[in-house]
Amino acid sequence: MSHLGERVSALVDGELNHHERDRALSHLTFCAACRAEVDAMRALKNRLRSLDGPAMPADLTMSLLRMSEPGGPLPPRERPFPISSASRTFGGAPIPSMHSVAPPDNRPRGRAGGGPRRTRRAGYVAVGVASAAVAIGTLFVAGGSGPSPRVVPPVDMFANQHRNTAPYGGSATPTFSPTP
Amino acid sequence: MIRLPATLVLAAVMLLGLVVGSPAHAARPDEPEGDDTGLHLLREAAIAGRTRGYSGTQYVTTWGRSGSGAVSSVLEVRNVPGAGLTVHTQPSGLVQRVDPGTPAGGMSTPSETMLEVLARNYRVMAAGGGRVCGRPARLVHVVRADGTVAARYWLDEAGGPVLRRELLDGHGRVVHAGAFVDLTLDPARKAAAPVSAAGGLDLGETPGLLARGWRFPAALPGRLELFAAHDASPGYLYLGYSDGLSVVSVFVQPGVLDEERLRGWHARQRNGHTIWIRDSAEQETIWASGGHVYTVFADAPADMVDAAVAALPHEPVPAPDLWTRLGRGADRLLSWVNPFG
Repeated sequence: MSHLGERVSALVDGELNHHERDRALSHLTFCAACRAEVDAMRALKNRLRSLDGPAMPADLTMSLLRMSEPGGPLPPRERPFPISSASRTFGGAPIPSMHSVAPPDNRPRGRAGGGPRRTRRAGYVAVGVASAAVAIGTLFVAGGSGPSPRVVPPVDMFANQHRNTAPYGGSATPTFSPTP
Repeated sequence: MIRLPATLVLAAVMLLGLVVGSPAHAARPDEPEGDDTGLHLLREAAIAGRTRGYSGTQYVTTWGRSGSGAVSSVLEVRNVPGAGLTVHTQPSGLVQRVDPGTPAGGMSTPSETMLEVLARNYRVMAAGGGRVCGRPARLVHVVRADGTVAARYWLDEAGGPVLRRELLDGHGRVVHAGAFVDLTLDPARKAAAPVSAAGGLDLGETPGLLARGWRFPAALPGRLELFAAHDASPGYLYLGYSDGLSVVSVFVQPGVLDEERLRGWHARQRNGHTIWIRDSAEQETIWASGGHVYTVFADAPADMVDAAVAALPHEPVPAPDLWTRLGRGADRLLSWVNPFG
């Protein structure tokens, strides 16, 4: 029997049928080269199984979260690269965690209630405040400074009415006339 | 036992009945007011002042607040029954037809209502006789509750008008005097029994005034009672007070007193307030209170006028707040753009 060749990986993964596995194991009893290759393959696969599964891309996660809450408040952005993210490595290289990078805002601009809408609302408020200020200022100026009209009693007319009113004379119209 | 004749017994019973039933203890028919023995004399003089024709010359003097200054005038008067009293004032030369019951007419013909008020506040007592301008007169005293004399009247004994009238203050000083220096009575005419003027109150507008926001006292110190209240153009309130003897007129205007334009008036401090006074026959007083201007004229003793003025409002002029000024501005803007305003 020739060397195992490409069947080494299938043997290690248990993918050979019963007959092929017996023939492969019979060959390993006398072929030292194939035994070494099978050992190396098993060691490699064991090392790969010991690693964590690949993390979900952060951009994809944040995009999904934002799409689930349109217009709602954004999750807090943690930046830049907290220390805990350095513990996640792949082959010695750090792996960015879910909150380690501020994700871009991929929500549709028309539904997000963000910049342009807020700007427009602020514009409305500014125009309203300015209009109210102009109206109040106009009323204030038009109201003048005097609380009431300034008067000087028409003394002659009052004196004439006093002199020509009979006490307890009844409801008859007083007979006074303006002083010439 | 002696039996008296029946006729003698009957005569004795009748005599006893006459004595017991005698009205000697009751008021005489010409004195129905009890202690006010001079009230009917005043009533008769008031009637004569309106119904008798006469002419003459009067002098009138009023002493001011200080007691030193006095204002005098000479009046040529002529009364024609049915036509009224004409007064020619010297030295002003003013000729007026006046009501003899008014201050301009010497207040010599009080109405029946005023006499009732006078009797309610004073005792009106006959006090003997005297002479005025050569005519015999009956003297009547008007006495306060404390016994001081508030007024003296000399009434013509020949059925004429009041010959002399004096007002006195609480210290017994004469503050006002008006008297004939000559008088000519027209012959009395036979006519129906004259009656005095009924008179009455002039308070019919009071509910409307209160509804329009006016507030005023019904009485002032010195037993001054409100007898008239009405508002008039151009926008002022008139209040008349009297105790049956004196008269105080109060005029209230909305606004702030323009003190710079008060010519001939003197500022005085009274109980922390500023009032403006001018010595005249009417004891004029002006002051500002709470957005209103008060003007008082009085034919009354100075102490009574001062007490009345002190009892009327003396509030500080309110500072204009923001809302008041904005509201006034809105009113003005609306009046400017209103084509029907």
